[in-house]
Amino acid sequence: MMARRVTLIGGVLLAAACVERVSAPGHCPAFCPSGQIEIVDTVLTSIISRDSTFRGYVTALHAPLLLAADLPGFVDGRAIFRINGFGQRFILSSTDTGAVLGADSARLQLTVARRDTGAHNLSLAFYRLPIRVDSTTTFAGLAGPFTDSLVKRVNIDTLLARPGHKDTLTGDSVVVDTVNHVLVLALKFDTAAARYVGTDSGTVAYGVRVSADSLASIAITKSTLSWQWYLRVDSIGTPVARKPGALGVAFSSFVFDPPPPPPDSTLAVGGVPSARSFLRVALPRFIRDSSQIIRGTLTLVPVAPVQGAPSDSFVVEAHTVFTDVGAKSPIIVDVTRTDTAIIHIGPRDTVRIEVTNLLQFWASDTTRATTLVLRAKQEAASFSLIRFYPSVAQAFRPALRITFVRRFPFGAP
Amino acid sequence: MNRPDGRTGGRAVATAVLAAVFLTASPPDRLTAQDSQFGIRGLGTPGRWESVRSRSTGGAFGPFDPLSPLSEAGLADVPQLTATAMQTASYRDAAVAGTTSALRATRFPLLNVAGRVHRRLAIAAGFTTYLDRSWDVTQRDSVLLRGTLERYTDEITSDGSIADLRLAAASRLSRRIAVGAGLHLLSGSTRETAERRFDDTSFHSVQQLAEVRYSGIGLSGSLLLGVAPGLSVTGWVRADNRLRATVADTTSAETDLPRMAGGGILLAPSPSVRFAGSVAWRGWARAGAGAFDTWSWSAGAEIGSGHMPLRFGVRGGQMPFGPGPTAPTEFAAAAGTGRAFAQGRALLDVGVERLERRGGGLTERVWTALVGLTVRP
Repeated sequence: MMARRVTLIGGVLLAAACVERVSAPGHCPAFCPSGQIEIVDTVLTSIISRDSTFRGYVTALHAPLLLAADLPGFVDGRAIFRINGFGQRFILSSTDTGAVLGADSARLQLTVARRDTGAHNLSLAFYRLPIRVDSTTTFAGLAGPFTDSLVKRVNIDTLLARPGHKDTLTGDSVVVDTVNHVLVLALKFDTAAARYVGTDSGTVAYGVRVSADSLASIAITKSTLSWQWYLRVDSIGTPVARKPGALGVAFSSFVFDPPPPPPDSTLAVGGVPSARSFLRVALPRFIRDSSQIIRGTLTLVPVAPVQGAPSDSFVVEAHTVFTDVGAKSPIIVDVTRTDTAIIHIGPRDTVRIEVTNLLQFWASDTTRATTLVLRAKQEAASFSLIRFYPSVAQAFRPALRITFVRRFPFGAP
Repeated sequence: MNRPDGRTGGRAVATAVLAAVFLTASPPDRLTAQDSQFGIRGLGTPGRWESVRSRSTGGAFGPFDPLSPLSEAGLADVPQLTATAMQTASYRDAAVAGTTSALRATRFPLLNVAGRVHRRLAIAAGFTTYLDRSWDVTQRDSVLLRGTLERYTDEITSDGSIADLRLAAASRLSRRIAVGAGLHLLSGSTRETAERRFDDTSFHSVQQLAEVRYSGIGLSGSLLLGVAPGLSVTGWVRADNRLRATVADTTSAETDLPRMAGGGILLAPSPSVRFAGSVAWRGWARAGAGAFDTWSWSAGAEIGSGHMPLRFGVRGGQMPFGPGPTAPTEFAAAAGTGRAFAQGRALLDVGVERLERRGGGLTERVWTALVGLTVRP
């Protein structure tokens, strides 16, 4: 009797156990809901206005890279840096110092963060510069030293071709970092090239020019630039060799010619000093309030092809701002609200930047300023600059292509 | 708790409690009945206003059953305070255009409490499913966007139902005549979502959701006549006004609800053998395009009046919503039994139903397990 009852109850519970699976392929329209997701794709040409460009956000002095280029017709850029020395005396021990007699040699370590792999006979030429170089130094002001003060030249392609990437005669070597895609150069400067002048406190300054058969454009990482002295120090009348710690640069920047053109009515992005463009967007209410934006594309027509070496291609970012106060509007730097596009050197194709994240952000918070800021991802990291037609150019004005979904007709039978 | 055979009823009580816990532990958003693909395009799938006992006979005993909220006159004979609840588990195969989807669902479609408040007056309150609106449709398709054919997957879901909250009263006017009436408040909600995912991730996914609230009102009345000893007939009518759907306090739709009428006959040649038949008409065509007036019928029997009677029956009819010019049809066969525990104070009814629906190229075949618990404290 008990077994029968247990069987009965167990069977009942098993049969009625909580299960749920209601998902089925739709066979429309017969067996689908009457309401459907309705998508609208539209190009809005007149909602962008009051656009403007400002320059000077990041200068050569504050750029993370030292740029050197020799691109005829576009730019001649030269890196400059200064290394402060140890003074006229060198600490031999805790109780003893000795006069620095001079330097046997020095070793410069620099990282080439960017180069054009299509450039052949890529060479670096080092020039001794006056130790007074600073942020006010101009291209023209260094014309003399860059003409008559060559101290060293190294051909990177030749160095790379040598066994072990080492030149035993000059003492130069190069390491190819395939992970970070950079070249790490260790260059030996002999006594003549690396003069330790006590009256200058051992301070030296150099300039770098780059040359190649074509596409001569490189970027050197500022933060990894270091200088190693190999000194001769007087120790109670006896010259002794000393290898102090490596020194970082006290000053580094780059000079270039021609200088950047002043801002005009076009929308400029990139270059040195870096330029940013501001676009004010009047997002229609029916899209912002009653729809769901699934794709937004900002369309910009370049005024002219972007100049530079192919390796100078750069990324343009579109940001929005916390508040629109003009040139100094604080940018919202958030990867989830940043949209990007790569600007390639050469072609004059229309640039399209997907700004879906930004448009959705504006739709989610209607109190936000609907201002777009275009800037280079790495500002002042390339001489290249792109110029777009502004909103006053009716035929080529910036436009927004928005794909949105209307409100689903929930509740309809 | 001593039974006539001298054994205690402790196990029976425990069994009843276990079943009660099992039945009432279901989530509250599953107050729905058997759903159907035919209800997706219309208002939903109408519920069956029958207890397990009635449904095991194909619904034939529904108009006479005081615990089935189909008609009220039967309430007049409810002997004491009685509560019943019901759970169903359905396994559904929906076949259309050569593809078959296996679907399953657990529902909690009925709770009813009835009792006598006066020698000639009995009342009842409870809920049952008026329309089930739980479904989930996925679809692959493509659309031309920005000059490119973009493929996507749509998923549109609705989860919820519209309940019929009934307050009913019945009175036996004479030995042969009983009448009843009921007030029906239609209330419920569905959580609906619409989602589109593009294969091309340049297009963000579409995700919209809303809670749709439904409301309406209805009245019903019924008459039960004892024609002769062992022979009764009944008739019932019901009119519901409009179903209002609101989204965020804004009315999104108003739909006319049907007028209904039905009747039944009960033949009991002996106390342990009962036969019944019923028929009903529902004017669903008022609900708009794609809706049809429906007829339904049922016939069934209950054999045995002891602890485990045998029930069986068949039913057929039409579905109110479907594609095409004619209403989809359905046919079902059901069987079941019941078991009394605790000196008859707890009744466990079980049943099984095999149902087939056809229309518009779709065929649904459903197995449904029915469990009902009735308590008479």
